[in-house]
Amino acid sequence: MSIYIDENTTVLIQGITGKEGSYWTEHMMGLGTKVLAGVTPGKEGQEVHGVPVYHSVRRASVHHKADASMIFVPPRFTRDAVFEALDSGIRKIVMIAEGIPVKECIQIRKAALSEGAVVVGGNTSGVISPGKAMMGVFPYWIDRVYKPGRIGVMTRSGSLTNEVTSMVVEAGFGVSSLIGVGGDAVPATRFAEMLPAFQADPETDAVVIIGELGGSMEEEVAEYIRAGRFTKPLVAFLGGRTAPEGKKMGHAGAIVSGGSGSVRDKKKALEAVGARVADRPRQVGELLREALG
Amino acid sequence: MKLYEYQAKELFKEYGIPIPRGILFDADSFDEVAETLDYPVILKSQVLMGGRGKAGLIRFAENKEEAGKLVEELRSSSYRVERILAIGKNEFEVASELYLSVTWDPAAATALVIACAEGGVEIEELAKTAPEKIIREAVDVDRGLLPFQASHLAYELGLEGATAKAAAKVILNLYRVFDAYDAELAEINPLFITKTGEVIAGDGKLMIDDTTIAKHPGYAPGRDYYDSDAEYEAAQDGIPYLQFDGDISLMCAGAGLTTTVYDLINDEGGKVANYLEFGGPNYRRAQRAMELCLKNESKVILVVTFGTIARADVMAQGLVDAIRELKPEIPIVTCIRGTNEEEAVEILKSAGLEPIFDTEEAVRKAVAIAGAGKGEQA
Repeated sequence: MSIYIDENTTVLIQGITGKEGSYWTEHMMGLGTKVLAGVTPGKEGQEVHGVPVYHSVRRASVHHKADASMIFVPPRFTRDAVFEALDSGIRKIVMIAEGIPVKECIQIRKAALSEGAVVVGGNTSGVISPGKAMMGVFPYWIDRVYKPGRIGVMTRSGSLTNEVTSMVVEAGFGVSSLIGVGGDAVPATRFAEMLPAFQADPETDAVVIIGELGGSMEEEVAEYIRAGRFTKPLVAFLGGRTAPEGKKMGHAGAIVSGGSGSVRDKKKALEAVGARVADRPRQVGELLREALG
Repeated sequence: MKLYEYQAKELFKEYGIPIPRGILFDADSFDEVAETLDYPVILKSQVLMGGRGKAGLIRFAENKEEAGKLVEELRSSSYRVERILAIGKNEFEVASELYLSVTWDPAAATALVIACAEGGVEIEELAKTAPEKIIREAVDVDRGLLPFQASHLAYELGLEGATAKAAAKVILNLYRVFDAYDAELAEINPLFITKTGEVIAGDGKLMIDDTTIAKHPGYAPGRDYYDSDAEYEAAQDGIPYLQFDGDISLMCAGAGLTTTVYDLINDEGGKVANYLEFGGPNYRRAQRAMELCLKNESKVILVVTFGTIARADVMAQGLVDAIRELKPEIPIVTCIRGTNEEEAVEILKSAGLEPIFDTEEAVRKAVAIAGAGKGEQA
């Protein structure tokens, strides 16, 4: 069992004929992901790496029953693509685009919440269960980063995820499932909302969250642990510990103002409920060893 | 992007929110407007930073002579105030000051109207001192703010009669501005209630969602939006850049990773000259990134990447080409990893660079070169 996606999850690719869509479709299949079909309006009848392309999600759905949709369209078309997937009953959707307007992110999250869908992103590398499947853009072929194992990871970053995950592997662990909730101010799915799945996953022994300054997602994780609903060890790495107040450093979702959303407050909240907070990426591995004995 | 007070107020007025009569003038041409101002006058510096009151950027002048002196003081201050909004102090008498804003609630996936009967101070301050006095109204993003909600809020604020009705109208109109301008925040603080029961926006703040900049070309950030020439120049190239005053130039990729390297430098006792991120769409622009770094008096450039789409070999080659072209006189410390990292190592080595594979080691080396480190020698 994995979180979100495994080798049996069937996937649709929206925007499959684009440069990124085509390139990453090949890699998703290379890892073992079951890609059934792709969608690009006007391109029905074509194939991309052997995957049939349809004009619309509805037309693809006549022939294929996809569990999930991976969206590669540009930011200004992302909301429409998400609604199109929801319209065909798809309830797992990953959107990687960076620069989706905040209002549209709110509309997407609202729709996901009301329709019981789990939309992941935007501004994310996506979701991966190493050794099994992925929806997104991960260098899974770098074994020292995406080695299969028993640590769940959630992240707001891209390159920093590679960095921290490599430290998890260096410490002798591997990754069960990784969820990139993304770096936007309004991620469609928040850290705490994925904790129940990690709690229930017998293949996950502990969870690492890669957070940063700004927003309140890390505090929500602390609140969730405090309520006794997540009981596995949790280690956090938080970027922007020394960032000056008011400077827009990091992702769109990372702006500190008036002393809220600071890494100091997040660290305090997490440590107060027994979570471990690393100051440097390498320390994540050390704290995992400490937590898991 | 954040708008100036006068810009926000112009929009508020256009959307039916009463604002005080004000005169906007250039700080270096006070003489031209001196006779037309309503004395005693409040001089509000048009700068984008918050906390203008505390910083002494909002001043009060009894007469023309005093105003002239204060304008000169603001103009020649370290804030280099260029524009001032002058508002006659006696235009109306203030009975009370409220707080009003519209923003997004990312967790609830709604818009949020925030109001408080005690305005004038920053909302973060209010949240600490009187959290029970803050009124919140969630707004469905598709329905928008409904009249009953605005009316309810006005009465919850303790207003009555025609004033309550006027305040409800202001609340509705502020939401309309927020929506029409793709704002992340629309704020009126203070919102004046005058002794004659009028409701007037004493200040105006509007922050437009950066991703919608193309829809609002009139508000594209100009030079004055940035703290330094370098930040402005980098922004024109779409390269995230922040100016600091240390001696280690960061040329990294990925917002989270660059921020982390910034933290690690500080931990080691180093000082960052600039934060620069050339990942994402900029990963083929090493030369431009290096040009920006070299404008600083840095002692070392530190390159840390761990890219996926931003391929390591492409970044390494770009870096080598940039070095050949720009011939920097300072050392470059490289820690380039990610897709095709083996090729990247070869490219760096063949150009005489010593590729490091560990972020912390690279940080220590850069700090040691800069000579400010408390860490071990590289």
